[in-house]
Amino acid sequence: MRAAIRALRAAGVGVGAAGAPLELRPAFDDAAPRVEPVTPLEGDRLAVRVVPGAPEPGIRAFLDGIQRSQVVTHIGAVPLVHGAVAAAVRRREARQLRTWGEARRREALVLPVAALEPTLVGALGAVIPLVDTTAGEPTPPSGHPQDLAARALTAVQRMREAEELALLAAWVAEGDGPLLVDGGISGSPEGARADAVIGVVKSHRTLYAAPAELPLVLGLREGERTTAVTLHSPRRNPVASWYLRLRDPGARSPLFGLVRVEVAPTGDLTARADAVSRWVLAERAPSALPDPRWDVMVYGIRECEEYLTAILPR
Amino acid sequence: MTASVLGRVVATERRPNTPHEFHFWTALDAPVGVGTIVRVESTRPVNGVLPSVYGVVTEGFGYTDLQTPLHDVLGADGVPGSSASAPTERTEIRLYTAAVLRQVPEEPLQPVPIGTVHLATEADVQAALRMDTYVQGSDARGIPVGAYRSGGTDAAVHLDADFLLGPEAAHLAISGVSGLATKTSAVQWLLASIFTHLPARKGKVAAVCFNVKGPDLCFIDRPATRLDPADRALYDALGVPAEPFAQVRYFAPWHARGTHLATLRTHDALADSVTPLTWGLRETLQYAEVLLSREDIDAKADALIDFIKERVVDQRFEDKLLEGAHEVRAFADLERWFRELLQGMEAANQEQWRTHHIATIRKVRNRLGNISTRCKGLVTDDGTVSDLPFGAFEDRAVYVVDVAQLEEDAQDLVFARIISQLREHLEKRALGVEQVVVFVDELNKYAPSDGADTYVRQMLLDIAERGRYLGLVLFGAQQFRSQVHRRVVGNSGTQLFGRMDADELATPGYQTLAPATKARLATLEKGQLMVRHPHFGQPIFVRFPRPAVLTGREGVEQFPPAEVPTLEMAVTKTLRRLDASITVGQVQDILALAGDDEEAILRARNVTLLKRPDNVLAFFSKQLRKRVAPEVVGGRGPAPLRAPATDDEYG
Repeated sequence: MRAAIRALRAAGVGVGAAGAPLELRPAFDDAAPRVEPVTPLEGDRLAVRVVPGAPEPGIRAFLDGIQRSQVVTHIGAVPLVHGAVAAAVRRREARQLRTWGEARRREALVLPVAALEPTLVGALGAVIPLVDTTAGEPTPPSGHPQDLAARALTAVQRMREAEELALLAAWVAEGDGPLLVDGGISGSPEGARADAVIGVVKSHRTLYAAPAELPLVLGLREGERTTAVTLHSPRRNPVASWYLRLRDPGARSPLFGLVRVEVAPTGDLTARADAVSRWVLAERAPSALPDPRWDVMVYGIRECEEYLTAILPR
Repeated sequence: MTASVLGRVVATERRPNTPHEFHFWTALDAPVGVGTIVRVESTRPVNGVLPSVYGVVTEGFGYTDLQTPLHDVLGADGVPGSSASAPTERTEIRLYTAAVLRQVPEEPLQPVPIGTVHLATEADVQAALRMDTYVQGSDARGIPVGAYRSGGTDAAVHLDADFLLGPEAAHLAISGVSGLATKTSAVQWLLASIFTHLPARKGKVAAVCFNVKGPDLCFIDRPATRLDPADRALYDALGVPAEPFAQVRYFAPWHARGTHLATLRTHDALADSVTPLTWGLRETLQYAEVLLSREDIDAKADALIDFIKERVVDQRFEDKLLEGAHEVRAFADLERWFRELLQGMEAANQEQWRTHHIATIRKVRNRLGNISTRCKGLVTDDGTVSDLPFGAFEDRAVYVVDVAQLEEDAQDLVFARIISQLREHLEKRALGVEQVVVFVDELNKYAPSDGADTYVRQMLLDIAERGRYLGLVLFGAQQFRSQVHRRVVGNSGTQLFGRMDADELATPGYQTLAPATKARLATLEKGQLMVRHPHFGQPIFVRFPRPAVLTGREGVEQFPPAEVPTLEMAVTKTLRRLDASITVGQVQDILALAGDDEEAILRARNVTLLKRPDNVLAFFSKQLRKRVAPEVVGGRGPAPLRAPATDDEYG
């Protein structure tokens, strides 16, 4: 952020107080909830299964990434956004988490290059890396400031994903045990194929089940999982996935304590899904409180986020 | 360099660093705790110099990423044991607060910079405590008070002799709970350290220690029975020989009965080393106000006492009301003088004598006559004086005055007179040494912060406020510092604290200490002290060795006090100090001449002891003959001398 402000001031652009991060603005997170059918991989239809055996620790490390996007200033209607991302693998040894290798950090000024004076772009680019929000986009920006900001946010998300994917690939190549990734793994060719990678998805804007099967998913009790399915996504790598209830929702939302697990679709899927479920259930303690998503977040991921917050470029 | 990094300075808006305080975090297993001395290294030069900051840890904090304990309960489903099996431990922090001991350079005085924190080395400890200014070089004058130990660093901590014994500052106050604070041990150790390390150019030094309870200081010339290797290592490290005091002289008054000394050091093997402490009328009258309460002495009585001191005592005195000339040299003489004077006044039907009313004379007679009774054993009727060797004090000698068995009045008299004599001799530079350390235990009793303004308290205040110019140094020990007169403790340049009582630590005098420091003080082990000294920016914790002397308790076990002797045995024992060949039989023969006059016998013994004649028995016998008219019963000649008994243990 400071680097971006220095670059802008050096280029003669006035900078005011930074607003709230774009990630916190509700207008940018308004995709409608939906339901998507899936293809069973374990059995011939979606079913509920009690995870056998007691929860047992099996996860070796945790991967997560964070991002922050803030509008630094506007040139006319064009928002100039400072994007900062960081990702890290926190490896567990003797019950303590330590950073595996090096954490990855990156910051950039995110802007639509075509909408700005080339001299200004050149001046800014000499001081801080730039990310063009229009590069590779199928449709040109509308010129609406919110559209431009939304594109910037997407660009920052891609920055973060890129860092996460790089770390994921590195772990697959050099890591020494199961890695729990915050979110899905189908976006990573290496992750989607590796036995040692487990994705845990906490948000459920899209529920992967036929409408008739939804009661099965939402009715899971603590320690139960659905049978594994495969997701249909032409742009993503195939993975096996199932829902797992971490905590009893009681009278709370049916999504309380519900996660979706993703692994590579290899081997004896039932045995593997059971084992991975036991590992994930073991990670419920210690709780991720005070994070508001504590019901679905494992502590390793929360700790990773705290670490990344501390090192995120400012 | 990275390997030696202990922690890192942190500062936030809510908890900023200041020029006198900073915060740092460490690994969970870092060898740091309250009292640890650390060094901060900054990478940002100020005026071209990289600043170094020395600090001592005063507070520690540990916490996790939990916002509230309730979150842990929720996370563990209310089952305490379940969190122990969690695969990951919560992130935890060790955050410490340190008080700045010294900044180098000292100007400009800025908030402590962000930097790396390192355990202090021995050299760092010297620099942090500013000992580098007085421990080395041609003007070295450091007195080891103990060893600083933390995180593998072992460093001697020195006091500045100029600030411990004067003239810059002086006096020492040691506080702590009885039995656990090891106050007496600490003073014994420090005296040994002073005797070893005080440079000769600073002059001769001696110590006068008042033994006020039990056998505490009665065996400090005897070697300790248990000094473990750790103690010996400390002695070696601090450069003090692990030996008892080489020169100790003990003084004790006689027991009220007069047969033996009122001390627990009466074992036959040691009794010779105790000198009687007895004073006569002149010595006592100088300090009459110590023994007489304000209610006793009004202006009229005071005037009469002054008259007696100036016009009657130690001179020939005649008056028409008296039958003849008087020479008042002892309490017995004074009593005779009063008796004759009052009889003369009654006979002449006079109510006034030289402006003094008869009632005042009666009152003063009563009060003064009482003194020799109240202080029996210390104050003699006959004027025999046996005193400390004022004027001939020896360098590095300890003079122990055992007043433990004296009544409170008599103790006050001993304090008052000895300290006054020390002061007077030091003022004239005629004591024999240039500096005297006076150790007084139980300052709570002798210099209380409240209560009556006693003579002893006034005297202790006087030492505390003016003694450093004279070389008269007060080492005071007390259980409750808050209850000692603030000018006494306030004038103590050096303060030592052993294990403290929690209630005492809650008093305002300790409000400058951090809670963790107080908690450590409340749990200090024996042999540990917290030290405040003018050069130290903050209190420092040190460890000192057990004194290399026999403790009082072990002393009485090893040298149990002798049985209360018979008169014959008491006299024999005393005279044998002058002539070892004297037997009980010889003494019994001489005593037979004195009949039942026990007081005369004891007087003769005291005079003999004081004069130290060549022919002890003859001198003793002569003294008795002076007092006792020979009584011939039935015309018989003197009884033949009895031969010494063969089983006489003194024969």
